[in-house]
Amino acid sequence: MEVKTSKVRTVIAYIVLLILTFLCLFFFYILIINSTRSHAQIQQGFSAIPGKSFFINLKHVLHDANIPVLSGIKNSLIVSTGAAILATYFSAMTAYGLYAYSFKFRKAAFIFIMLILVMPTQVSALGFMRLMDNMHLLNTLWPLILPSVAAPAVFYFMYSYMQSSLPMELVEAARIDGCSEFRTFNRIVLPIMKPAIAVQAIFTFVMAWNNYFIPALIISENKKKTLPILIAALRSADFLKFDMGKVYMLITIAIVPIIIVYILLSRFIVAGVALGGVKE
Amino acid sequence: MAGISFKNVEKTYENGVTVIKDLNLDINDKEFVVLVGPSGCGKSTTLRMIAGLESVTAGELYIGDRLINAVPPKDRDIAMVFQNYALYPHMSVYKNMAFALTLLKEKKDVIDEKVHEAAKILGLEEYLDRKPKALSGGQRQRVALGRAMVRNPSVFLLDEPLSNLDAKLRTEMRSQISKLHQRLGTTFVYVTHDQVEAMTMGDRICVMNAGVIQQFDTPQVLYDQPKNLFVAGFIGSPQMNFIDAVVEKEGDGYALKFDQTTISVNRSELADYVGKTVVVGVRPEDLHMEKEYFKGGNTIKTLVDLDEMMGSETLLYLAYEDAKIIAKVPSPCPVHTGDEVELAINTDRIHVFDKETEEAIFN
Repeated sequence: MEVKTSKVRTVIAYIVLLILTFLCLFFFYILIINSTRSHAQIQQGFSAIPGKSFFINLKHVLHDANIPVLSGIKNSLIVSTGAAILATYFSAMTAYGLYAYSFKFRKAAFIFIMLILVMPTQVSALGFMRLMDNMHLLNTLWPLILPSVAAPAVFYFMYSYMQSSLPMELVEAARIDGCSEFRTFNRIVLPIMKPAIAVQAIFTFVMAWNNYFIPALIISENKKKTLPILIAALRSADFLKFDMGKVYMLITIAIVPIIIVYILLSRFIVAGVALGGVKE
Repeated sequence: MAGISFKNVEKTYENGVTVIKDLNLDINDKEFVVLVGPSGCGKSTTLRMIAGLESVTAGELYIGDRLINAVPPKDRDIAMVFQNYALYPHMSVYKNMAFALTLLKEKKDVIDEKVHEAAKILGLEEYLDRKPKALSGGQRQRVALGRAMVRNPSVFLLDEPLSNLDAKLRTEMRSQISKLHQRLGTTFVYVTHDQVEAMTMGDRICVMNAGVIQQFDTPQVLYDQPKNLFVAGFIGSPQMNFIDAVVEKEGDGYALKFDQTTISVNRSELADYVGKTVVVGVRPEDLHMEKEYFKGGNTIKTLVDLDEMMGSETLLYLAYEDAKIIAKVPSPCPVHTGDEVELAINTDRIHVFDKETEEAIFN
């Protein structure tokens, strides 16, 4: 009897998981299928069978003078990689500062950072744009990369991870061994933080890759645009030139790096999501 | 030459709690000193002040002739072994041990030689490529010792290094550390809460309580002549028995009386205590069943609550008035749980303490 119930439960679990998997992957499927179909075919409605326009769409996308895809990919890669490196390194350093040193305004500093965490980007966007304008940094990639130095969410994750996985004795041992404070951080703390850094690097990379709001404000020059702005530009192209096949193709191109990152590092992501919360 | 001197050292934490009050302590060069005491007595703080991991609030701290109050840990020429080993988890055993030397920019072959030499002494040669995770507790502890050894420091600091090991390994490591001290000939400061470790390893033992040194002397003196009730109770296992007794004048001398027992002592120190209550301390091994110790009146007669056969000796737990008394008698022991027993106190070896000040009147 018991074996029977457990079998039924397994079957139900599989059905639910299949539905969820379908829901998750279906949109990717449509996206890829549609990238192989022409504008006219797409307008006719849904089809599960791939079309024959894949290379035509690809050619259209790559040869559109208004949509510099290759430089878009390059820009997105530069911004996302830069943001991931800066966010993880400096957040780990900030977290270490608050974790390992006791100073007068430690608690206040922590609360201040947590307050920034709840501040929506939109609130400060206008001021940020004006600041960048005054610094003559509009239409450069710097405003998209440098602010990652202050990433409160990443900081908080790093801080929690340190609490669970970085015993102060290690830091003290390094100090006695003759390590300078900076070196202790780079040679002892960072390697121990590797799992947390991997997880946050992926998240920051993806977030920067998908970011549309700030790049759209900062960048107006075609050559400096990142992929999300290019996709938006393509979608809002005038009616006569509008080509859905091209739009789907560009989105497909845009998600390829993310898919690669996820496939390669999915192990870290699953293990890492639970990391910060665990405290011994 | 690296003795250590504390001169009127005080440590107060940011929250206002003073853990060390006016500490004066002189540790000689090449001496093995054990700081011992219950949790929170300030022994670890004292060690961490020597290491430079805790600041000194007031007073002066010297290593050799050098005032080190403001010297950072790396410039103190010390090495420290931590309770939880504190090995760098991402480095191999070799790299863990070589780390300090690498920072000193020593030549590669010098580092290699020193690491291998230490590994040989500690029996770690075959584990040099392993990560700490792949080692047992005892091996990790040896790596921690090795890491300290390769630097050839003038002071070795050990913070409860054996408390994470099992009993058998602890005994083994205890003798290893003692041998290491003899071999290296450097100053060792060792913190523990285990009085057995303290007694077996230390040249001198500093017994601390509530941030104050209770007594600083050799293990034998601590055992035979404890300065106060705290030291008497802390040193020795099982601990010393304490019984309240009234001092009476008896002929030329004095008598300590409690219940049916009278202990005659001829000590002038008791003159001021006639009619007052004092605390008599008797070590478990100074209670005897053998008839030659019976001198009339110096016995206590009571029931055995529990007998514990420890091998060569037996511990008898006695229910006596309000006091819990433990006697250590040779095995085989003729009496057992529930039996009545009469034990004589070896009056030559009693300790008497002032009940109010808890200081020893005589030992």
